[in-house]
Amino acid sequence: MKALEVTQATKRFGGLVAVNNVSLSVNQGEIFSVIGPNGAGKTTFFNLLTGIYPPDEGKILLFGKDVTGLPPDRIAKEGVGRTFQNIRLFGAMTVLENLLVGMHIHIRVPYFHALFRTPLARREERRAEEEAKRLLEYVGLSQRKDELAKNLPYGEQRKLEIARALALRPRLLLLDEPAAGMNPRETEELQAFIQRLREELGITIVLIEHDMRLVMRISDRIAVLEYGSKIAEGSPEEVRTNPRVIEAYLGKGAAGGAA
Amino acid sequence: MSTLSLLLSLAYLGLVFLAPGALSNLFGLLALGATAFLRLSPTWRTLNLALLTLAFTLGLVRSGNTLGLIGLVGILVALTTLPRIPGGIRVLLGLAILLLSVPMAGFANTFIFELGIQIGIYAAMALGLNVVVGMAGLLDLGYAAFFAVGAYTWAIFGSEQAKNFMQGNFPLPGEYMYLFMGIAIVTTALTGLLIGLPALRLRGDYLAIVTLGLGEVVRILANNLDHPINFTNGPQGITPVQRPPIEWFRELMGSLGVRLDQTTDYQLFFYLLVLLMIGLVVLANVNLANSRFGRAWVAIREDEVAARSMGIPLLPTKLLAFMTGAAFSGVMGVIFAAQRTFVSPESFTLLASITILGMVILGGMGSIPGAILGAAALTILNLDVLKTFSEFVRTSLPQIPSQVDPAKYERLVFGLILVLMMIFRPQGLIPEKRHKAEMEEA
Repeated sequence: MKALEVTQATKRFGGLVAVNNVSLSVNQGEIFSVIGPNGAGKTTFFNLLTGIYPPDEGKILLFGKDVTGLPPDRIAKEGVGRTFQNIRLFGAMTVLENLLVGMHIHIRVPYFHALFRTPLARREERRAEEEAKRLLEYVGLSQRKDELAKNLPYGEQRKLEIARALALRPRLLLLDEPAAGMNPRETEELQAFIQRLREELGITIVLIEHDMRLVMRISDRIAVLEYGSKIAEGSPEEVRTNPRVIEAYLGKGAAGGAA
Repeated sequence: MSTLSLLLSLAYLGLVFLAPGALSNLFGLLALGATAFLRLSPTWRTLNLALLTLAFTLGLVRSGNTLGLIGLVGILVALTTLPRIPGGIRVLLGLAILLLSVPMAGFANTFIFELGIQIGIYAAMALGLNVVVGMAGLLDLGYAAFFAVGAYTWAIFGSEQAKNFMQGNFPLPGEYMYLFMGIAIVTTALTGLLIGLPALRLRGDYLAIVTLGLGEVVRILANNLDHPINFTNGPQGITPVQRPPIEWFRELMGSLGVRLDQTTDYQLFFYLLVLLMIGLVVLANVNLANSRFGRAWVAIREDEVAARSMGIPLLPTKLLAFMTGAAFSGVMGVIFAAQRTFVSPESFTLLASITILGMVILGGMGSIPGAILGAAALTILNLDVLKTFSEFVRTSLPQIPSQVDPAKYERLVFGLILVLMMIFRPQGLIPEKRHKAEMEEA
């Protein structure tokens, strides 16, 4: 069973075909990258996967289950966590509260229990808080627990967003440009972190990324989008040497080999 | 500093003995301001607050001047917001004000009870609206509709009104009011569902306009449902609405050594009932705020897309906030109907909705002590300060035409206060930490 299977997905905005007949599949436990020039439809593609837009045509299977056209909250319940290109934390909530929102679907407290704060509600809240704290330790944000998310420095906001997605206990994690704005050292840390997620938590990871060094090093396979269409797919080596990709995206300098 | 503020407080205590009334109470407010804003050690501050509580209580009992009530509300606010006052003292002094000072003042001047009850009813509603507007960020301009549904739920069955369309022994006996408080929770929550289902698909300004319209629909229904079948008795309203019998309460108070007469017994009863309701509503507010529901509401307010991607379903979560707020309002509606023994559509106009919203905004959106303070401030302003002021103008300057009677400019003053607030303190009187953070960002 594939972690993700997209068949001929198409999304139009008026006359613009943002995602055009894209098919691809991601194996379980894989780190898969989606690359392409600006405006190629990568983020729209993510938004199709997470239900923010329903596809106009095509089908999306998550772990064998058809989720085409389901709303984002239902897709999240299927075990899909995501981050956003322009960080979307709950800025006026604390770091811990952000994670607790991420755990929303795993905190099983019925409304009336919450209203009267019954022992069940207390117990569940305590358990959730413990789990959130463990997660903060895992990503190295423990000291920041009670700070407002918007007061964190940029790099830590990125980290927190990933942690919030992890709080969902995802089977599939979608990262939209996780290395954006990071310096080479931070990017290296991020690479190690993403690999740890796969190895220790067994999460399948799909990422959109512009940092080609990171993409080439970390990915098992890569898909290339241009003008909404998939123009190539394969291992980093195959993509790097694919003449269409070089022409459309990487440019002459990259064809030299350094990428 | 310490000596100055203590002198002020003691001077006020002396003034209250010699010449209780508006002027000495104004002086007391000055002393309270000094206590709250001067740099004082916690011990001095606590001592001052205790002295002032005593003085305001005395002032109220001796003169019945309602400025003293403002002073007591001020002390309550100081107790909840000022740092480093021992927790035990906060609770003790707060309870003393609510359970001793106000009732004692009420026996001296029953208008104090009336004010206290009104403040309480509005405070509980402001807390309900706080869930909707403050936490979930849903601008609801038709909130009084739920108050109306709650009030009519009891008014129709607690009077002879129900005979018009039902067989049975109406009015239901007064004890049923307690049952109807529960029933009103269900009817108002259902009304919330009915209004929310279409309205909550919209956002921001659109939501505000639609709730405004639907709120008016409820009022107009109440106004017109006197034919073909007479459900609501139209613009004349329904009266008399039954009150619960309070023999047990008189006996209880008697055994505590409090002698009640015909005018104060129900006043004290409803005052205490409203206090109890506020306690419950505050508890529910706090519990929800610290649960996954409260967090989901704030998350939706902050960023809908991110919230949905965390598995939070939009419409059900918003509906829950709407129904919760509605239910709070509905219960208070039942108490309102019983306390007044009279219900008419006039109490549920758009202005009522906006006043409650004004209370939430004035106090600080999302803030629990803020909502209560907002309710106290606006209720006292509407029912007391402006009326007193216009009486003062009328008696001292009788040549002034009645068109410029200050009481007629209630809404103008109200609007002015809100505009000034938005300029100088947009986060509200007692801001909640989250909203404060948002305001600083903007």
